[in-house]
Amino acid sequence: MDRTGSILGGRYLANAIPVVCALLGVLLTNLPFSFFGNWFPSPMYALMPVYFWCLVRPDLMSPGWAFLIGVAHDVISGEPPGLWAASFVAAYAVIDSQRDAFAGLSGWGAILGFATGALIACTTHYIIFSLYHWQLMPVSGSIKEFAVTSLLYVPAAFLLGWLHRRLVGPLRSEY
Amino acid sequence: MGNGTWRISRSRSGARLPLVVVAVLAVALILIGKAQSSLFDRARTNVVDWMKPALVATSATAQAVDKWLGSIGDIFVVYQENLRLKQENARLRKWQNTAMVLNSRLKRYQLLLNAAPDPALSTVVAEVIGRASHPFLQTMILDAGKQNGVKPGQAVVDQRGMIGRIYLTGERTSWVILLTDLNSRVPVSIEPNTDQAIMAGDNSPEPVIETLARGVQLHEGDQVVTSGDGDILPPGIPIGVVVVDGSTYRVALFADQTTAQDVEILDYKQPLEHPPSVTEQELPATAAGLPPATAPQPQNRAVPPVLPPPQPIYKPATAPQGTSNPDAGADNDVPDTGNQ
Repeated sequence: MDRTGSILGGRYLANAIPVVCALLGVLLTNLPFSFFGNWFPSPMYALMPVYFWCLVRPDLMSPGWAFLIGVAHDVISGEPPGLWAASFVAAYAVIDSQRDAFAGLSGWGAILGFATGALIACTTHYIIFSLYHWQLMPVSGSIKEFAVTSLLYVPAAFLLGWLHRRLVGPLRSEY
Repeated sequence: MGNGTWRISRSRSGARLPLVVVAVLAVALILIGKAQSSLFDRARTNVVDWMKPALVATSATAQAVDKWLGSIGDIFVVYQENLRLKQENARLRKWQNTAMVLNSRLKRYQLLLNAAPDPALSTVVAEVIGRASHPFLQTMILDAGKQNGVKPGQAVVDQRGMIGRIYLTGERTSWVILLTDLNSRVPVSIEPNTDQAIMAGDNSPEPVIETLARGVQLHEGDQVVTSGDGDILPPGIPIGVVVVDGSTYRVALFADQTTAQDVEILDYKQPLEHPPSVTEQELPATAAGLPPATAPQPQNRAVPPVLPPPQPIYKPATAPQGTSNPDAGADNDVPDTGNQ
């Protein structure tokens, strides 16, 4: 009975880790200061767990979670509601449709795979924001955001991989 | 990276239907947000209020690190910096004397002209505990909120000029929309001709001057201040100077939004304007040399004066035959001109 309980608890914890990581990413992105000064906007940290677990374990990162993480991003960032939610859902849709291609990538290929997801999210955000305000926004901010997010996926992928191997996999008794 | 190091679930996630559902939800959320922009405001302020201690702590740490890193570089330029500051100090002392003389002269003129004094401004000093660093969003978070009397719409200034306006207040924190933000619109007055215009942010470091009257020519270096239109912002807050950018005019801001740490929130209350009381000499009858009219006494008005009935100016010689209305001719007071 205890063993069953611990297994169930472990499963719940394993299920929660990807979402918690993404929510932490939301907080990190919206910290009141930037690690890059004023030269670059804050990276989309929340997209990294979404991309990673969408590829590795889509049952732990469902479209609903991607949507809710986007909503959390909207709430905390102060941007109009729904913009980041739609961007994350669009990125998720592309990643999910090309999952077999992305999942087979490794090394720099994996970075390029993530860059594709980030590009979709940034482009969607840019287009919706331009439509929302009915004027073309400067592209430079989005390009910088895309670039810095893609570059930071290199260390983030190691961290996420470590979390998956050490925590998510063992807690679910598989990896 | 290294996606092949663990087993990847190859089964389709069955996410097609949920994807369509959440996509529809996201679009609906955008449309609802467009219709009611304050949808998340309460949630935002609550989250930031709740996070205030963490924000203050991280902000203080970041500032300390920033200062420490900055001080390393400062060691090498401390001598030149000291000389520059001495020269600047001497210049500022001269300007201080000029300002004091001009200020006393201004007060004297105000007394002579019996001018209404400027409205008193109460201020709240607040510390910047956050800055949004997003491509399309230029906001700040301050550590003062409703508890300190901060209200939406109030101007936020630093020692050099205006930074932005409060647009959202929580209990202990408030959000500032910076002058450079896309949604910022501020009525401004451009010296020396007090040309009225609207300064609009476009996410670039220098906001654009819009809705300037046709034919008005601005010059590089003209000073831009708040006009006070709308009675929300106090007039005369320095903002920046005009910069000509091709065919458009932009404003180089005085305040540095990226480094401001301590700011002031101006609580501006437009005083009620009472019209000046009219003196007896200003009455039209007095000015014309006539005696002032006396008010009629009620007891003398027992019998109202009766005017005699008006005499008809014109009466037709013969009433038209067969006229059903006998008064028809009596109402006709148009003289016969013989042109019929």
